[in-house]
Amino acid sequence: MSFMLRCPNCGDRHVAEFSFRGEYLQRPQQEDEFASWADYVYMKENVQGKHFEWWYHGSGCQRWFLAERDTTDNTTQTTFWFDDRPRLINRESEPDA
Amino acid sequence: MPDKRLSSHAYISLSECDQAIAFTFNSKVIKARSDDTIASALHAAGIGILSRSFKYHRPRGLYDGYGLGADLLLAVDGTPNVRGDKTRVEDGMDVRSQNAWPSPDFDAMAVNNTLVPLLPNGFYYKMFHRPKWLWPIAEKFIRKAAGIGAIDTTGETVDTRYEKRYRFPDICVIGGGPAGLASCLAACQEGKHVLLVEEDPQLGGHSVHTATKVANCQDDRLNGLSEQDAAGAIWDELKTYKNLEILTSTVVFALYEDNLIAAQSKHDLYKIRAGAVILAPGATDRHLVFENNDIPGIMTGRGVERLITMHGVKPGTRAVVIGNHDGVYHTAMLLQGAGVEVLVVADSRSDAATTEAARIVNENGTPIQPLSTIHAAKGRKSVNGAVIGDIAGKVEHASYRCDLIVIAAGFKPQLSLLSMGRVQPGWDEERQVFRVEKLPDGLYSTGDVHGTASFAQLYKEGKAVGLAAAQGAEQPQSVRSKEDIIVALPADIPAKGKHHFICKCMDVTRAEACASIAEGFDRVETLKRYTSMGMGPCQGKMCYEAVARLAAEDTGLSTSVAVPTTVRPPYIPVSFGVLAGRSQHLIPIRRTAMHDMHQQAGATFLNAGQWKRPHSYGDVQREARSMREGLGIIDVSTLGKLGISGPDAIDFLQFMLPGKFRKLATGKIRYSAMIGEDGILFEDGTLAHVKEGYYYMSTTTGNQDAIRSLFWWWIVTTDFDVKIDNLGPIFAAVNISGKNSRKLLEKLVDIDMSTEGFPYMSTRNATINGVPVMLFRIGFTGELSYEIHFPSEYGEAMWTHIMAEGAEYSIKPFGIETQRILRLEKGHLLPGIDTDALTNPYEAGVGFTIKDNKDDFIGKAFLKNFKDRGIENKLIPYKLSAGDAIPSDGVAILKAGKITGRVTSSRMSPILGYGIGLAWVNVDQSTPGTKIAIRLAGGGDVIGEVLDHAAYDPEGVLLKS
Ligand SMILES: [Zn+2]
Repeated sequence: MSFMLRCPNCGDRHVAEFSFRGEYLQRPQQEDEFASWADYVYMKENVQGKHFEWWYHGSGCQRWFLAERDTTDNTTQTTFWFDDRPRLINRESEPDA
Repeated sequence: MPDKRLSSHAYISLSECDQAIAFTFNSKVIKARSDDTIASALHAAGIGILSRSFKYHRPRGLYDGYGLGADLLLAVDGTPNVRGDKTRVEDGMDVRSQNAWPSPDFDAMAVNNTLVPLLPNGFYYKMFHRPKWLWPIAEKFIRKAAGIGAIDTTGETVDTRYEKRYRFPDICVIGGGPAGLASCLAACQEGKHVLLVEEDPQLGGHSVHTATKVANCQDDRLNGLSEQDAAGAIWDELKTYKNLEILTSTVVFALYEDNLIAAQSKHDLYKIRAGAVILAPGATDRHLVFENNDIPGIMTGRGVERLITMHGVKPGTRAVVIGNHDGVYHTAMLLQGAGVEVLVVADSRSDAATTEAARIVNENGTPIQPLSTIHAAKGRKSVNGAVIGDIAGKVEHASYRCDLIVIAAGFKPQLSLLSMGRVQPGWDEERQVFRVEKLPDGLYSTGDVHGTASFAQLYKEGKAVGLAAAQGAEQPQSVRSKEDIIVALPADIPAKGKHHFICKCMDVTRAEACASIAEGFDRVETLKRYTSMGMGPCQGKMCYEAVARLAAEDTGLSTSVAVPTTVRPPYIPVSFGVLAGRSQHLIPIRRTAMHDMHQQAGATFLNAGQWKRPHSYGDVQREARSMREGLGIIDVSTLGKLGISGPDAIDFLQFMLPGKFRKLATGKIRYSAMIGEDGILFEDGTLAHVKEGYYYMSTTTGNQDAIRSLFWWWIVTTDFDVKIDNLGPIFAAVNISGKNSRKLLEKLVDIDMSTEGFPYMSTRNATINGVPVMLFRIGFTGELSYEIHFPSEYGEAMWTHIMAEGAEYSIKPFGIETQRILRLEKGHLLPGIDTDALTNPYEAGVGFTIKDNKDDFIGKAFLKNFKDRGIENKLIPYKLSAGDAIPSDGVAILKAGKITGRVTSSRMSPILGYGIGLAWVNVDQSTPGTKIAIRLAGGGDVIGEVLDHAAYDPEGVLLKS
């Protein structure tokens, strides 16, 4: 990977400055079936195309943010703070919503 | 040895002879000029065979001088796979051929050559697959026979310093030919920061080896100049721009996402991130396939032009020239001017050329044969003849005795970098070549890669593309005039013989390709994989177009579907040194506030993440004993330290950690494991309630950045109102251990140090020499011990003060290695060393830190699942008998010949006088007193005894004293 990623705080930076925390998922409730916890921990959608995911700007401002990225070419990216997700993640694409 | 250096040329002025130097080729001294490439110098010295081919060990020599093929890969000063035709010779250079034994001139493996009909098509493919028993033999054969370069694994012959360099231009132009130069000029004029990267030592591209003059150029100053002078004039103008940087002798070998470019300049790696990239890679001669088309002495048109004009080397004495466009007469004219007798020009076209060069060639008495091409080359170690005939390959016209065959059959665009930039080439039916079609954003292309054109046309196109790139506009349409179009090749002649090499790197012949098609591999993709053509060191740079063209012809498919596969980096062989070159400035080195004191005390350091920590101060066993017997001190500044406060601090900790902390009174400390959502133990630390509502958590060195970012992630994604202070770098810390530690502390602070006033697992504030400190009475060492945390800026002063005050108790510093022994004597696990990504905390023996009868917390669901499943394995402390060998970390534990566990940490305990350790064993071997067989790395077993508690002070009397 060599693409540029836009930190909402710092702007465009080499992706090597960031660390990745996987897909954006909704955490189950404690009273949910164990199977849904197993899904949450071990099963990934691994989408071919656009999806939402977590990034951490470790070599920069050390803040967490969300990115929508096309996994096929890393090109189409929108990045935003977690608190902005109701505006940017529509209900259909929100996992388990 | 005949002198092949030219003193003059009839039609062009030769470059001034540079200084004379000498180098060795296979230990033989070769005289050269400093502007020579290795290949040109060897050619001038009359050395024709530079290597042997991969499969049949056929002799190979200089071909196109463009650095594309495998035949010119040589070992230079111990570095393998250096391109001999692109590398300048240096005085004293040691050059060796690679794929030949004992020498390229006499190669013992050349017997393969006579085996051509016996080695089946798809030889390697079949060998690689079945029958299975053949594989070891095949592998041996391939490894011995291939031998394309060998790395010096001793590191003794190569003493090179590799560096990384970084550039961030607005526009990066790759290729300094006429179009590249013009695009640079346009971008510079727009005020952009421009970086020009050129593979050769000089700029100008093919203009440096042409006798043509510039005409009809939009920039009138260039008209009438030779193309070389015109390129020089643009170069001079470019030098006036401060916003331009030019890198010559620098090869771009990769183009990645978002215009990240990797380029090699001798031993340096350039990483270039450009706003826009203009690719001007040019074109090279097409590869023509005919009988014996690989013998030394067969060269491309531009190959001989380079030899003559750039190095003043006469390519041969009697030449046959093959071509299908006007440029072939330019080549023939340059040959004549150099005193080469041109016996015939075979032109596949019906109409004679009308150019000035064609007229000169004719006047010089060279016959021109229309509608003809080459049928076969003759010779074994070098060319000694050529057979010319009709373009259908049916009728032979004449046979010539010659030592040089020149192929100028048109040009193929160099698409490698474009392909890396995800440009799919399209097939140009009229020109019979692949060409650039749609380009992605930020990528531009110009020059011969779009088809050959006059200097004036390339200049115009380059300027337009440079301007478009500077303005972020679309790539302008490239146009070529009718007369510049080089039409279809003469058919590659299938006439006679079995040595029509399509792919010279992998020795794939056309006969082999046809046989494979007959076997059903009739698509380019499968054909390529089956025969391995285009998959050798040149990665198709030389032959991709011939592969596609002939595959299409022989399968009957349209070439438009025979699109070359995507090219992957690197474009040229790149040494590991270049890729691994140092870039230390990207990884900070972190030293503790007491670093210099450790250095003065003679510490050796080890890397713990980015930190430098004292490994030991000389004698580990003595350090350990001295602490146990009296007083020791260790720098623990590298611990992670987080301050946690805010209205929801306790709720947050209840959620983050598996234990219960609501009853943790101020002044108290508790050990805690850290568990992931998957229930796995990944870290541990201590939590101290230092003042009402303020918690101080310490974590291990290696994990501190990860833990901090994890805490912040949870704060971002939950509603807890918490504040996290990253105190890791703010506080330095030391641990003082040993039975005299209380006595020392009593000297240092004025608080109640009695075990009643300051019990085990509690914390106090104090001052030492006026510096505010936090004291923690905890201990991984198993002795009475105190941790002192204090502002980092007092690091040295505090260390010096404590050492001075502790002198009367013989205080001695100890390092990490001693710490590892001490903690092992106490049976404490280290996360990441005694645990892994599958460690169930109940099995690791830290179940006591988990209180699962509370509300939601991280890992709750999985911990319940683990609990229900029960214990299968256990992490247990064990001891050996005195005199037993100490096993290495990681060795197996066996029961009845089966592996049932493994040792994770193993050390000699100096105080106990026998080996101790931690090991994972099956639960039925975990009862204290059980004997376990530990397999030593060198063979043989030692018997360990499973312990209930720590090997040292099992009741913790000392700790709590
Ligand atoms: Zn940032």
